[in-house]
Parts: sequence; C-alpha cells; structure tokens
Amino acid sequence: MAKPHKTSVGRRGFLKNAAAGAAAGAAALVTPTLVEAQGQGTATGTGTGARSPGAAGVPAPTQAQIDRETGNVRPPVAVRTITRPGSDLMVQTIRDLGIEYVAANPGSSFEGLQESFINYGNPPNRMPEFITALHEESAVTMAHGYAKAEGKPMLALLHGTIGIQHGAMSVYQAYYDRVPVLMIAGNDPDFIAAHTAHDMAGMVRSYTKWDAEPKTIDEALVAIQRAYNEAITPPMGPTLVVLGSEIQKDNAPNAKIPAYKPPVFVTIDATRAREIAKGLLDAQNPRIAVGRLRTPEGVQRSVELAELVGASTSTAATGGPMSFPQRHPLCGPGADTTYDYTLGLETAGAQVSIIGPALAETAATRDTVHIGFGGTVPGAGGRGGGGGRGGRGGAPTAPPIEADAEASLPLIIEEVKRQLTADQKTRIQARIAKHASANHEARVTAITQAVESKRAGWNGTPISTARVYAELWPLIMNEDWCLSSPSNFSGGHHVQLWDHNKPYSYLGGQGAGGMGYGAPASVGAALAAKARNRIVINVQTDGDLNYSPGVLWTAVHHKLPMLTVMHNNRAWHQEYMFVEYMAGVRGRGDDRAHIGSTLRDPYLDYAKMAAGYGMAGEGPITDPAKLSAALKRGVAAAKRGEPYLIDVITQPR
Amino acid sequence: MKKYYVVVTIVALAAPIITLNAQEGRGGRGGAPITNVPAPTSPVTGNAASGKALYSTYGCYACHGYNGETGARAFVGRWGNLATEQSFLTFLRGRANVAPLAPSTSMPSFSDSALSDKQAKDIYAYIRTFKSSAPELKDIPTLNTIVDAAKQEKK
Repeated sequence: MAKPHKTSVGRRGFLKNAAAGAAAGAAALVTPTLVEAQGQGTATGTGTGARSPGAAGVPAPTQAQIDRETGNVRPPVAVRTITRPGSDLMVQTIRDLGIEYVAANPGSSFEGLQESFINYGNPPNRMPEFITALHEESAVTMAHGYAKAEGKPMLALLHGTIGIQHGAMSVYQAYYDRVPVLMIAGNDPDFIAAHTAHDMAGMVRSYTKWDAEPKTIDEALVAIQRAYNEAITPPMGPTLVVLGSEIQKDNAPNAKIPAYKPPVFVTIDATRAREIAKGLLDAQNPRIAVGRLRTPEGVQRSVELAELVGASTSTAATGGPMSFPQRHPLCGPGADTTYDYTLGLETAGAQVSIIGPALAETAATRDTVHIGFGGTVPGAGGRGGGGGRGGRGGAPTAPPIEADAEASLPLIIEEVKRQLTADQKTRIQARIAKHASANHEARVTAITQAVESKRAGWNGTPISTARVYAELWPLIMNEDWCLSSPSNFSGGHHVQLWDHNKPYSYLGGQGAGGMGYGAPASVGAALAAKARNRIVINVQTDGDLNYSPGVLWTAVHHKLPMLTVMHNNRAWHQEYMFVEYMAGVRGRGDDRAHIGSTLRDPYLDYAKMAAGYGMAGEGPITDPAKLSAALKRGVAAAKRGEPYLIDVITQPR
Repeated sequence: MKKYYVVVTIVALAAPIITLNAQEGRGGRGGAPITNVPAPTSPVTGNAASGKALYSTYGCYACHGYNGETGARAFVGRWGNLATEQSFLTFLRGRANVAPLAPSTSMPSFSDSALSDKQAKDIYAYIRTFKSSAPELKDIPTLNTIVDAAKQEKK
C-alpha cells in the first residue's frame, strides 16, 4: 500500500537543522516574488494537487528546499538506517533484464536509485554501468543508438519534469524510429514543486508506447519488467516508469522481485507457416525481401531461411540496422530476376508479407494527442527499409499479414525443414551457386561503376564527401565496425562502397528527422561496441553536433571506441538550400540566404571543441592529401578505446 | 522593358535536393558517371575574380560544389546550358520571367533585378575556369583497393 505523502519537509525534517548562515546566503538568490509567496506559507503540499500557487502561478519553494537546492544543507546527525532500500531491488530487476548501461544527467528525484546503481551489487556499477550524460536529450539518444546497434534497450534515467522535458525530443525520435528505449524518471513530490507533476509521464505520453507510475515497491518492480517487455514488443518504442523518491529510498525488507515473464510476440499461425514454407520450396526462383527486423537473432534466422530455400534476397542494411547481410552470396538480384514467389519480412509489396503492427495504430487507440507524420504505416517509409522493393517480377502482392516477422521465422524454418525433400535440396544448392555467382558479378560491376563516379573532385578542396567515405573503407574493412550517424547529408557514399554485413553496420536515420541525434546516438552505439571489440565510425554533420557536443566528454570519460569524422560544411546546409530556393522563386536573389542557416563568422573549430572535452583530434583538414593519414590515426585511436575527432572541411554535399 | 528569353532546354544546373532522408539506402549520391564533355571555348566577357566572390555570395556552391565537380548538381563535364555566356544568361533568367512560382526544376530563378547581367557574366567567367580534378582511376590507390577487395569477396 502506498504511503501517504508527507509534508513539505517531512522526511527531510533534518533540514530544520541546516546552518542559519547558509539560509541567509540562499535567501539572496530568491526573487522578491518567491520570498513573498514563501512568507505566505505556500510551500509544497501533498503532491496530489493541494498546492497553493504562488504569485507566478506555481508554488514557491520553502527555505529548506532552497537551502537544499543551493547546496547549503548539512547531512543530518542521525538518519534512518536503511538495510534494503527499494532502489536496490529496482537495480537488481534491471540487472536481471540484462540492461548493460544506464545513462543519466544527475537529478535529485532519483538520488536513491543512483546510489544503488553505483554501489549495489558485487561488483557494483556493472549491469548496468552508470554512464554520465551532460543532457537528458543525450541520455535518451544514447539509448536510441544503443538499441539500434544491439536490438535491445538500455536505460535512460531522467529527473522529474525538467529532465523529462529535456529528453522529450529524443523520446519522440525513438518513438518515430520504433526503437526500444527504457526510461525511468524520478518524482519527488516533497521537493521543488516545479520538478514534480500529478501525471509526470503525461508530458511525453503522446510519443511513448507505455508508461506507469507505481505507488509501491512491489508495483515498481512489476512496472519495470512490463516497461521492458512493452519496449521490445512490436511496435517497439520508448517506455517510461515514474518512480517516486519514497519508494526508491524506503526500506523494503519483504519485497521480492517477481519472476520475469518474457513478452509474447504475435506470430503467424501454423497453417500459414506451412503455406509459406511450401511456397518457398515449390518456387523455381523464390525471393525474400528483408526489411528491418528487431534483433541480431532475427537477422540470423532470415539468413538461415534464405539458405535453406535458396532464395535470393533484398536487404535494407544500407538504410538501417537489423537486416540481411548485404554481401551474403544470396543478397542481390540473383541469377534470374523473375521471381515466382516472394516473401516480405517487415516489408510490404511481396506476395506474402509479414509485418509487425504499426505504431500509428497503437497511438490511435490512446486518449492522447497523436503526434507524428502519419507515415508509420507498414511500408510507408517510417522504418526506412526496403518497403515494396522485394516483389518485382513476381506474383501479385497481397495485403500484409500483421504479425512479427522475426518471431514467425522459426515457425517457417521448422516447416521448411519438415517439408524439404532430397530433390529439392539438390535443386536449391544448384540455385544458390548460380545466385552467388551472379550476385558477385553484379557486385563487382556496381563497385566498378561506383568508384568511377567517386573520382569527381577527388583532389578538390574542400574535400569531397565521396573521398571521406572512400578513404575510410580500406581502413576498416577488416575491422568489426558500425557506421552510426545518418549519412544522407554527407552523400551516403558508404552505400555503394562499403559492405554492410552486420546487423549494426549502419544505424540509419534519426527517426523523426530531428537534429542533435548523430553524436549521442554514436555514443550509444559505442557503448554497445565497447565490450565487443567493435569500433564506431561517426561521420558527423556540423550542425547536428552543436546540439549536444557534451557527448564528446561522455565518450572520453567512458573510453569509447569511436571515431568522429566531421562533415563540416559550415552550415545547416539543407536549410541553406531551401532558403536559396525560396529566395530564387521570389526573385530576390540568394545573397542573403546564408542568414540563419550557416555557421560562419566565426567558423567553429571542432578539433578545439573536442580538445575542450578532453578528446584527442586534429583538423581542420582542407588538403585531401592529408586525409588518409589522419583517418589512420583516428581508426587506431578508436581501436585503443580512445575516441578521436577529425575535423574535415568538406564540400557541401 | 522587361526582357524575355526563350528557354530552349532546361537541363544541367538544376539544383537543390529536397530530400531530407529520401536517399537512405538508395546508393548514395555522387553516383552519376563522370562525363568528359570538353569545356566550352566560347567567348567570355565577365571578370572571373569578381565572379568568384559572387559564386560564394550567391551560394552557387551550395548545390554545385566549390568546384563544380561534386554535390547535388555538378556541371564540370556536363556543360549543357553553360555552353555560351548567352545560354547561361538565358537559363538564369528563363524561369524567373516565365514561371517563377512553378519552376520546372529546383534551380532558383534569377531575375535581372536579383542578379545583373554583369554579375551573371562575371559568375560565368569564373565557372569557365573550373576544370576536373578527377585523376585517372589507375592513379587513385584507395579506389583500386576497394575494387580489388570487392573482387576477392567470397562467392
């Protein structure tokens, strides 16, 4: 049963003993309005709506609260002895879920939980490890990038109200990107009124998949498990649990962590699995179009199925994570582009398409305002993956089956194995050999044509974006790498030049097209890479970095294997072109189009910026002849777990 | 009196990309093959030094790169409307005077009130100094390494 909320000081009665001198100092920081309101006794009340507004429309803090906020309190002489705080159990629950990292910018509303993260367990501060973020938007986007790389959530910890709002944009991006992010927010109703709310999650509910504000420790542990399950179940998305400071700190001698029950994924039924298996096996030239699956295991299953039935495949791996290996022998048009049976896995447009539920449909069922671009229906591009590209030349397409493709794959594979005859097996092996040969030839032809085009501007200054990607590739092609930032603004040359063979090879776009994503998402990807002998390549646009440059410090502090290569065109260049176009249409000339859309006068020095955050780096590099050597130094540093930044002055696109 | 020009062809020099994320996964930009159309030899009357400043001020580089070789609309080797000074002027003015609100490409229109004939000719003179900096493929070890690696990938 929930404990009743206490009065403003209540639990913090020790504040009465705070030094009087400190109080005087704090008073000097208080505005006249707040002092007046405080004098009227309008301190925080019950936390359930009984507050009296101050002159500014919000309750004023008490002197004790101000003292605490300004660091003028002393620890109490005697405090309660807590032997088994509720937050220890919360951390154990999170640990049991396999959460590797928790990213947070500190906030008093989760101080109990933070203390448990860093001190509870043996060893402490492992699973999850506490990652210091300099902004909540960075913390959530780190979780976004991590999830895209690993296919599972990490945790972002948010301060009550203000931290949630700082992180809101990132929550929105993760929601639109259908990425699982687990979030916990603290709620301290006894402290600063502006840091609490009746319905804390309400401010992001329109773009979170699920939220809860449990009132007891037992409810809290269930809610954390539920939030995790909701996040990883299609339609995946960010979830939020609001945890009161009381249940974090209170003793919980009798509470038990409930047995975890994994989520149930919606799959196709056995009959459909038999039909699909038969279709794939009976076809003379089957095709599997693979979109964006949920996890690396799903990717592995898609490879297994393609190899079992000898299907040529298409992939979304050059547009985002968790898709079919681009250079797998079966990936490509194959020996014959007339396909007589096509199976779409998280793609539309195939003869049989299995597509998970759309987030838009979930949102439509909620009693909240739906925020979105209306493009989250399957195959409409909200996922950036291969929609409609798998069925060319085949039979007419059919409406998709709404089920989770990844969870359905084992059923199909099992049926294929059951139905597969020796004759079919022989025929399939011959087909695989033909496809492999044809795809290899197609690959060589494509790369030969691609490098021809990349010669353009090769020795030009500023440096061509094609050269940046081309020079990087030989340095990493034999490494385990992840390209973390969206590449659409830097030319996307990796699509043609690089091999995207891992579920995390390329993490794709921002989700909702919001800037400030690339750098923190890269840090999240680098967190995933750290323990896996992987390096992260972050081709970073300059405009984007300036939203959250503090993540450079986080990368250094946590020794993350990340190379940042600036695509420094000294502008929010897409917007610059938009304004140019508009001015041109109106016949006013483009000589003022730079106002508000360029980063000049002065130019930013990103190597110095990195140095300020403690990151090694070099630049600005303008001479293309010096690029390769710099990149070698950067890759070597990243491999040593030392993040590195190279500022490259590039062509605009 | 306002001048009217006949737009004969509207090809190259067309511009900004209104794509945001549209290029994701589709092969990257800069994929057009390099063409080797010789640079024009028609007369140039403008001042290239002045044109260099205007090329920057008017943001031509935004879509055409700083050297006309890269970006959304490279034109070195694809001279098209840049064949003569007059064809360049015609191209610049055409849509501004004919259909400024419904341009047939995303290249901004430049009326003579926005960019004078003299300025346009100066820009043209500067553009005409552009030359390809693309080496022969055999002289770019990096790109040869990439091709060789692709050829050796396991079949």
